[in-house]
Amino acid sequence: MAEALEIAGTAASPGVGLGPVHRAADVPAEVFALRDTVAAERDKLRQAIATAIAELRALADRSDEESAGILDFQIEMLLDPALVEMAEGRIVAGDGAALAWVGALDDYIAGIEEAPDEQLRARAVDIVDIRNRVVSALTGLPLENFAPGSVFVGKDLEPSRFLAHDWTAGGGIVLFEGSVSSHVAMLARGRSVPMVVATGRFEVADGARVLVDANNARVVVAPDDEHVREAKPIKAEARPIAARRAGGVVETADGVAIRLSAIINDPTELRAIDPASFAGIGLMRTEFLVASSADAVDEQRHYDIYRHTLEWAGDAPAIVRMLDLGGDKTLPGLGARKSESFMGLRGIRLLLARPELARAQVRALLRAAVHGNLGVLLPMVTVPDELDAMRTYFEEERAVLLRRGVEARMPEIGMMVEVPAAALMLERFSRSAFFSFGTNDLAQYLMAAARDDQSVAALYDAATPAVLRVIAQGVDLAEAMKKPIGICGEMASDPRHVPALMAAGLRHFSVAPNRVTDIRSIISGLCTDGRPRRR
Amino acid sequence: MDNRSRRETPEAVDTHGYCQAEIEVTHGFGLHARPSVIFTRLAKSFPCTVEIEVNDSHVWLNGKSIVKIMGARIRTGSILKIRARGLRAAEAIHALKALVERDFDEEKKHGRSA
Repeated sequence: MAEALEIAGTAASPGVGLGPVHRAADVPAEVFALRDTVAAERDKLRQAIATAIAELRALADRSDEESAGILDFQIEMLLDPALVEMAEGRIVAGDGAALAWVGALDDYIAGIEEAPDEQLRARAVDIVDIRNRVVSALTGLPLENFAPGSVFVGKDLEPSRFLAHDWTAGGGIVLFEGSVSSHVAMLARGRSVPMVVATGRFEVADGARVLVDANNARVVVAPDDEHVREAKPIKAEARPIAARRAGGVVETADGVAIRLSAIINDPTELRAIDPASFAGIGLMRTEFLVASSADAVDEQRHYDIYRHTLEWAGDAPAIVRMLDLGGDKTLPGLGARKSESFMGLRGIRLLLARPELARAQVRALLRAAVHGNLGVLLPMVTVPDELDAMRTYFEEERAVLLRRGVEARMPEIGMMVEVPAAALMLERFSRSAFFSFGTNDLAQYLMAAARDDQSVAALYDAATPAVLRVIAQGVDLAEAMKKPIGICGEMASDPRHVPALMAAGLRHFSVAPNRVTDIRSIISGLCTDGRPRRR
Repeated sequence: MDNRSRRETPEAVDTHGYCQAEIEVTHGFGLHARPSVIFTRLAKSFPCTVEIEVNDSHVWLNGKSIVKIMGARIRTGSILKIRARGLRAAEAIHALKALVERDFDEEKKHGRSA
């Protein structure tokens, strides 16, 4: 058996994937051999570009808005005569259409790859995408696809190929180069596809088994069982075990009940999860339900999703977080990103600045609340006034709905605890029905270190002790107010942090569904002070 | 928040259809592809020629070409000169300069005023 090979990289999208390698091939040289007259080659190229544009438009039409935005950029590039002119110069000089196109584009790509700015360098792969699509149209060779469940290994991965691939069967992405700022990294994070970049080139045979352990920023070729156990692959274990163990409550070794709820990013995830394995939904993100500003104010769309979610949860609480846009989560025209915007107009700030957006979601939540045990979480609350302002929206919209004869019920309204100023002063938020720590943002705000900036990634990790102290204080304050408090940040899904979170007093954890088995087993081996069971 | 000062010179306006402006890019232009798309779409909406020069390079690029704009590798802090010649040149410069000043509308559409 081949010896396992561990390769360090940079995590671009968290998670763990295990599967056979799909080794990306370069475009074969023989397709460039053909050569006709200058006029014919030029026509072929123009035709191929037109085909590529039509394909991209069709792909954009069936993509969500973020993906469509990326494809629009590619379409705009193809529509620009400058690209064609670069290639036509080479056709006149004697190259065939395909060779001329690839030559011109490769020069251009090399220029972008030399850009001083990483964000701009990350665009190079979009141009590679355009290049390959036109080559495919020119040569009739299909764009390379790969089997669902595979781990893509290559220099870089083009956004349109990511979008065309079926990721529901798992797998992952390993890039020799790549960038955490690339379009494909954004897409991977949005769809929870584990991705590790900047591994440097390494040899691996097509079909070899590879473990993408993005949580530990590493890749293991031919992993042994120990590697796999350590990384806990997503698909292999989570479901059957979760299904066997009913109930979302786990007892600690000293007999205290800990509640485990699910974090849901996309309503389609509910199909794969057994409600009996969870004490309800601790956090359903809603920013991924909407692909455009139009979706965001589509009250019926929101309502349908929330109703479905509440029906899934049955009697158990389902906590829906209102749109948390801004920072790294944007819609075209909404919450668009600037480096400062993690601390700008995002979360509840954006909702209060855009009342029409907030009120549409509020009405949908009020209507859905009739169908179950709904809680609403407000993101990025900093001062009590924000909570009160949103509560007023709920009261006003409820009155309007009732006047119209529409059934509506007030949900419990709680807040994310993720802004340090709020976390330290929780007693001021007595009108919040419950609290939930969002440790991802809490950590970055405590350390003043942006989550998406690789140059300060180490600081972000180092935030843990400060976060734990803030959590422990927050738990005390909430208990003094007799308000429920839990955690829905990534720390809660990380086995390393669970003992310290228990010691800080947390008794309600919201975790990624594929982590619940691990977290359950860890908690059952711990006492409530976070220490291991004494034997 | 943004505390960088914008370096700009008064617009040189000529009634015969020539206009030029200089502005510092405060938006991370390379941050994503959208600003380039927005800039070139706006430039293309005017009948005059639009050209840009980055950091006194003495190379004037077609401001209506997204390929050229991306290739110019504009980053935050770059000094952008924009010039237009022909019909509605002054209007084009005014609009494009305002777009760069508004950070390509990536902030404005949040609707601070809403």
